[in-house]
Amino acid sequence: MITLTVNGKTVRAREGSPLLEAVRAAGALIPTLCQHEALEPWGGCRLCLVDVTRPEWNGWAKMVVSCLYPAEEGLIVQTHTERVVETRKVVLDLLLARCPETPLIQRLAREHGIEKTSYLPNPEPTDCILCGLCTRVCDHIGVFAISSVNRGAGREIAPPFHEAPPDCIGCLACAEVCPTSCIPYETSDARRTIWNKAFEMVRCPRCGKAHITKAQADFYAGRNGVPQSYFETCDACKRQEMAHTFSKLSAGAGGTEMETGKQGNRETGRP
Amino acid sequence: MIEQSCAPMPPLEEILERYPREEASLIQVLQDVHRAYNYLPCDVLAKVSESLGVPLAKVFSVSTFYKAFSLTPQGKVIIRVCTGTACHIRGATQLIDEARRLLEIAPGETTPDMGFTLKTVNCVGACAMAPVLIVGEKVHGNTKPAKVAKALGVEERHHAH
Repeated sequence: MITLTVNGKTVRAREGSPLLEAVRAAGALIPTLCQHEALEPWGGCRLCLVDVTRPEWNGWAKMVVSCLYPAEEGLIVQTHTERVVETRKVVLDLLLARCPETPLIQRLAREHGIEKTSYLPNPEPTDCILCGLCTRVCDHIGVFAISSVNRGAGREIAPPFHEAPPDCIGCLACAEVCPTSCIPYETSDARRTIWNKAFEMVRCPRCGKAHITKAQADFYAGRNGVPQSYFETCDACKRQEMAHTFSKLSAGAGGTEMETGKQGNRETGRP
Repeated sequence: MIEQSCAPMPPLEEILERYPREEASLIQVLQDVHRAYNYLPCDVLAKVSESLGVPLAKVFSVSTFYKAFSLTPQGKVIIRVCTGTACHIRGATQLIDEARRLLEIAPGETTPDMGFTLKTVNCVGACAMAPVLIVGEKVHGNTKPAKVAKALGVEERHHAH
């Protein structure tokens, strides 16, 4: 563990861990859009900018994105210096120009004193801020169904050839992780549609809930070498089943002394 | 090279055999495919993805990222008009107008006989010889609209036929 200073407050952090963690541990409130605890930091949204300096730098400080900057011993971090606040405002101003109708961006901009973008608003408003969370989560799962296509102003997130992605398993991870909820999908007990691809649902044999797509069950089973039937039962029912098994086991292990409590256990479902 | 594209397409397997079957070979394979087919056909990209073990989404991402790759069939000769600042000031717009007039296509389009594709590029890094016109592999510096017809190699085309 190392010690560093955030806004005058001393905090301890793991050496090399993302500075953002230490900043948040110190209670400093800075917005992020492309960060997710399950994924590697990416440094795309530039909102987690902070000023860092060290005593031996003689007053010189630099602006860094805290999600990518490694925590080091003795670092002095400022999260709201004038230039950091100004730069963050520029980023939000630009985001608002790109996504003038997106509630999340409007709210963040307003919180930073921007009511209206000072740039030309996008004539074709979009909700996608190109944070890359959807493609990164898809890659992380190992599906690689969608990616960033084209470049510069024309960059967008799309499946290959803008057609239904052959590799998509319909897990909805991309839609769930999207900060602006801009990936449309429909899901019912019978069918799920995302990226213009339709999926058949698997129903839990115990509770009947359609909790997973067939493609998802096939993908997980193929990867983990676990029989597909394992994925048919939903997580809630699996937990219940497990609890039952353990309650029986512990009752059995207790022998005759536990006999009296057995009836009650069965009712509460607890060991 | 131009003649080669008229010949039957070399099998994709031949291209794939030139490089190790790994992710790092992707761009080299795509360049060779582009050279052989004059564009990147969808079905070929799918085979490249399978053969190199690179997800199709990644192959598509790389194919759309680089300006050197096209997903639509290209003309035999690609004409690039530089529209960088220096070329713009020294008359790139007039060069484009002249090329449009001669070929009857807009930038980004291909002539119906698949002879020419007209493109604009942001800067070719040869500002000293602005305005720059590139026909196929040949670079024409200090070009004037009056020189475009010759640079487009109308004579050369007649030779080829």
